[in-house]
Amino acid sequence: MRVRPRPDTGLPIRIAFLILGIVATLVLAGPYLAPHDPLAQNPYALLQWPSQDHWLGTDAFGRDVLSRLLAGSRVSILASLLSVAIGLLFGVVPGLASVFLNRHFEWLSLRLIDALMTLPFLVFAIAMTAMLGNGLVQAMFAVGILITPAFYRVSRAAALSVVNSDYIEAARLMGASTFFIIRRHVLSKVLPAVAVTTAAMAGACLSIVASLTFLGIGVVPPEPTWGGLLATDLTTLYERPFGPFAPGLLIVATVWALNALADGLRDRITQPQEAQA
Amino acid sequence: MNSPATVVNFEPRGGRRELAAPHSPPALLTVEGLTIADRQGRKLVRDVGFDVPLGGTIGIVGESGSGKSLTCRAVLGLLPAGLEVASGSIRYRNTDLLGLGERGWRKLRGVELSAVFQDPASYLNPSIPVGRQLTEALRSTLGLDKRAASERAFHLLRSVGLADAETVYRQYPFELSGGMAQRVLIAIAVSAGPQLLIADEATTALDATVQAEVLDLLDRLRRAQGLTLILVSHDLAVVSQVCDHVIVMRDGAIVEAGPAARVLGRPDHAYTRSLIDNHHRYGVEASGNPEERVAPLPGITPAPTPAPVPLLQIRNLRAAYGNRAVLDGIDLHVERGEILGVIGETGSGKTTILRSILGLVTPETGSINLEDQDLTLLRGKELRAFRRSAKVQYVFQDPLRSLDPDLPLGVSIGEGLDLTGRILPWQRDTRVIEALQAVGLDPALAGRLPRDLSGGQRQRAVLARALVLNPALLLMDEPVSALDSVNRIHVLQLMRQLAEERGIAQIFISHDLGSIAGVADRVAVLHQGQIVETGKAAAVLACPTHPYTRRLLESMPRLQDGHAAAPHLATFGIQEK
Amino acid sequence: MTLASPVLTPREAGLPSPAPAIRRKHWISRLRFLGSLLAIIIPVFLLATFITFLLGYASGLDPAAGIAGDAATPEMIARIRADYGLDRPVLIQYLDWMGGIVRGDFGTSWFNGVPVTQLILQRLPISLSVASAALLIGVTIGSLLGIGATVWRGSLFDRCVTIFASIASALPPFVVTIGLILIFSLWLNLLPSAGYIPFSEDPGGWLRIIAIPAMALSVDIIADLARQLRTGLVATLSENYVTGAIVRGLSPRRVLFVHVLRNGAGPALSMLALRVPMLIGGAVVTESIFTMPGLGKMAADSALRGDVPVVQGTLVVSILLVLLCSLVINLLLGMLQPAARRRN
Repeated sequence: MRVRPRPDTGLPIRIAFLILGIVATLVLAGPYLAPHDPLAQNPYALLQWPSQDHWLGTDAFGRDVLSRLLAGSRVSILASLLSVAIGLLFGVVPGLASVFLNRHFEWLSLRLIDALMTLPFLVFAIAMTAMLGNGLVQAMFAVGILITPAFYRVSRAAALSVVNSDYIEAARLMGASTFFIIRRHVLSKVLPAVAVTTAAMAGACLSIVASLTFLGIGVVPPEPTWGGLLATDLTTLYERPFGPFAPGLLIVATVWALNALADGLRDRITQPQEAQA
Repeated sequence: MNSPATVVNFEPRGGRRELAAPHSPPALLTVEGLTIADRQGRKLVRDVGFDVPLGGTIGIVGESGSGKSLTCRAVLGLLPAGLEVASGSIRYRNTDLLGLGERGWRKLRGVELSAVFQDPASYLNPSIPVGRQLTEALRSTLGLDKRAASERAFHLLRSVGLADAETVYRQYPFELSGGMAQRVLIAIAVSAGPQLLIADEATTALDATVQAEVLDLLDRLRRAQGLTLILVSHDLAVVSQVCDHVIVMRDGAIVEAGPAARVLGRPDHAYTRSLIDNHHRYGVEASGNPEERVAPLPGITPAPTPAPVPLLQIRNLRAAYGNRAVLDGIDLHVERGEILGVIGETGSGKTTILRSILGLVTPETGSINLEDQDLTLLRGKELRAFRRSAKVQYVFQDPLRSLDPDLPLGVSIGEGLDLTGRILPWQRDTRVIEALQAVGLDPALAGRLPRDLSGGQRQRAVLARALVLNPALLLMDEPVSALDSVNRIHVLQLMRQLAEERGIAQIFISHDLGSIAGVADRVAVLHQGQIVETGKAAAVLACPTHPYTRRLLESMPRLQDGHAAAPHLATFGIQEK
Repeated sequence: MTLASPVLTPREAGLPSPAPAIRRKHWISRLRFLGSLLAIIIPVFLLATFITFLLGYASGLDPAAGIAGDAATPEMIARIRADYGLDRPVLIQYLDWMGGIVRGDFGTSWFNGVPVTQLILQRLPISLSVASAALLIGVTIGSLLGIGATVWRGSLFDRCVTIFASIASALPPFVVTIGLILIFSLWLNLLPSAGYIPFSEDPGGWLRIIAIPAMALSVDIIADLARQLRTGLVATLSENYVTGAIVRGLSPRRVLFVHVLRNGAGPALSMLALRVPMLIGGAVVTESIFTMPGLGKMAADSALRGDVPVVQGTLVVSILLVLLCSLVINLLLGMLQPAARRRN
């Protein structure tokens, strides 16, 4: 089996950054860029096709689709980011602790994380959101808890890969405390891995939040969200067949960009190690 | 039987082909002008050429980076990705190996050409019992059916010295020792009756006694099957023991080549001469006569007279892992400023001794007294306080793994100082620089990362890390085993220097008798958890009393350079105390 | 070229083989491995079901609204709660509920009084058939793509697989489902876009109905499996034992399938085990779009209605399925890679 080297272009990363840049602009400045009030209904201009006044047309209530899309960016993206933050917070510290504390904590935290991973993600997120009040906060919290295992496992794996090294043992033999060892030797290995997971989970969370809002869970209409917009566009497919395209493209492009970012980070992290081998 | 190799006119070949003498039989393998380069055009093997006569034994000697392994890989068609043959030719009988396709290689590999490598267990699929892998090879190369193949497999396992073939057949690679795994691989390699066997550092990682047995096996097989053997090693003695012809390589080119007796006895090239000298300097060529001892070189100041009370005293140390006894009543002591060498093979318990001293292992009984403190009684905070006192420092075997790859050298070296917490930045820097200079490293290296340094530099950095804390005792766990012979010499000299000029005592454990013989003042031989012999290095190595020590000495490959075995122990520092 | 003739093997000499000791040792190690798996799965099951139960408990929901209606007074609500045992400590309620589960009694729906077990059994075949079909498609195509990308690495095929995997991972399940419906139902008019036909009624119709949902769910698996397999296999290719196998003259096909696949597929298999929960979870969306009476849709609808027993029952069922799959895959891994057994 002969190997032909694959040229490393870095093009995906550049596209990803472009997309993320656009999305960030939408999130930060979206509501101000919107030409119309996303909630304003206009009974005289229902289900219109794109025009100069309404670049993406109007929906079944006469609301400007473009403005709704821009306003919805904020909700969808921020909800995803907050979920990621929750997962990070509850995952990384226990992950590290499981390696450096005693065996009981390790066993218990491992089993707890296993249990979380056993739960069917979407169904449980829906159940948790719906049964605890069906609001966006509940949705974010539910998704955040459910992605905790990813952060736990990645920080635990990074710490494990390092904890048996000779240089850690050398530090211990010089009398270093566990805290010193973590601070000086372990964090530098854990943080890059966690960064990769953060990017990947951001993409996953966005996808999940979009699914939830698509099903009408966790959001109160008439608040616009990307998933919600997609759902309503489906119902009006006959009148506006191009409808689902805009929100669908935004979702897919952003998720892809985040995944590509994660892949790029991962490649950059593993490269220096290969040079050492 | 094939014609003996001495008839062949053996000349090193450069780019131009030199005609062999008309009466010599055709060479089995011909390498001509071989140049291997990487994608940046850097040449790793430069214009290498040699003939391998039928039935001959060729040894290729060189340090890491000399290109010897790459040459063999090229012969087998196994160059790693990114490297390719830039020019030259390799011919096996009449077949051009460089242009060979998949089908052509399948006819040759395993059937005519085969190989064994270093770290044998890793060359076997870890998920399949080894017997099945042997059978698989037989069925593939000889086309035998299942029954015939497994019968043949048992025969083969027995013929390579694995008496309990039935059990070994069913074992997984991780259940085998290094020596056993190598025997299995040799069995697989010779199973189809090949013409040529390449052994690339096949015995390097093995214990001395096992190494001797495997070399003996290779020699036996060679004579029984008429194999042509290419033996690659960095160890001159290993090659000289088995091979009729020697090729010396350095930096990708052949430096010298010819019949072993000539190359080793009357070397032409300075590099070859230095290799031989290095071997003698730190080798073991003991004679039976204790009176014939080499006088110390003039100018070397004698070591200070030792204090009456030993620095470290170990009494009746017993330790176990689970229910397996590892140490069975060890008595040892180390005086100030002396180097104690502990010789032991894998599983003898030598690392456990070191780990007990610093509290990584809790012994069952026994005491370890440093000055007047019993270290076996220390726990928790007291243990940590003792470790911080830095009286005893540990040096690991693999310098690459004992330095944090993400931290610059200066940070790693000063780690012990940071732990005291009470040192000012400029004081820290000063001491780090002092330590670097003490081990012979340029202080400018403090800002570099470990991966930018060579193996020898890394090991010195590790020593610097230990030195910066002014210890009284250094525990060295195989400190030079991962280094090539040039760096090995430097680090051993450094150890000697530390002992004599700074009075730092050292316990040096190793399975390599050669390194220990070179630097140790006193020596202890460890066998299956017990000290079977101990005494002054010169005495023990010249006149071993215990049968195990004797067997160890006999297993050491001797350099067949035509000189009578002379009482060459290290010319530095072995003193009458 | 002969070897020195060694001693007769015991079998030739008519003696019994002395190898039982090692065989026994290997069986013991296999049993111990199974034991260690169970020692993990049982506590995890208990913890997961407890979390599920806790959800219902924390929601504070009760059947009072359904039973008493708008005219419910606080006393009536309290009495209804007591009737249903909802005023007891959480652990007691949990143990009671688990006791029922172990006997096969998942409680009764607060919405329509039907035993949850019955509701589940009605819908389980539907969800299972779609999930199994998705798994089958995903594993088959994913493996083919992954192995192909490895064998022809660096080629156009490899790059296409990577790009496909990259994009496919970014597609949320509902986007895929909608896309497939648009293509196969609306445009090509090949497959139906709603409903469900049981296999027993009409095998052909069943196949056509589950085709789109199964394909939609399989996309994620295909993408991840192809990528993981490629990474794992390519990494294994550089291992020493692959060189060893090549140097022995084994055929490339044998090297690939016996040596590389066996050791390199490990991470991909582990990843597969993690995907199964997502498979059962992702079905909610497809079932909703397709209005299929599956478990996922029932769980979602019940959650919105506040019908706690049904939600808990469905969750427990999927937990059981996931653990079963995990056990099977881990056993498979243990069989393929005995060295990993020893490490555990």
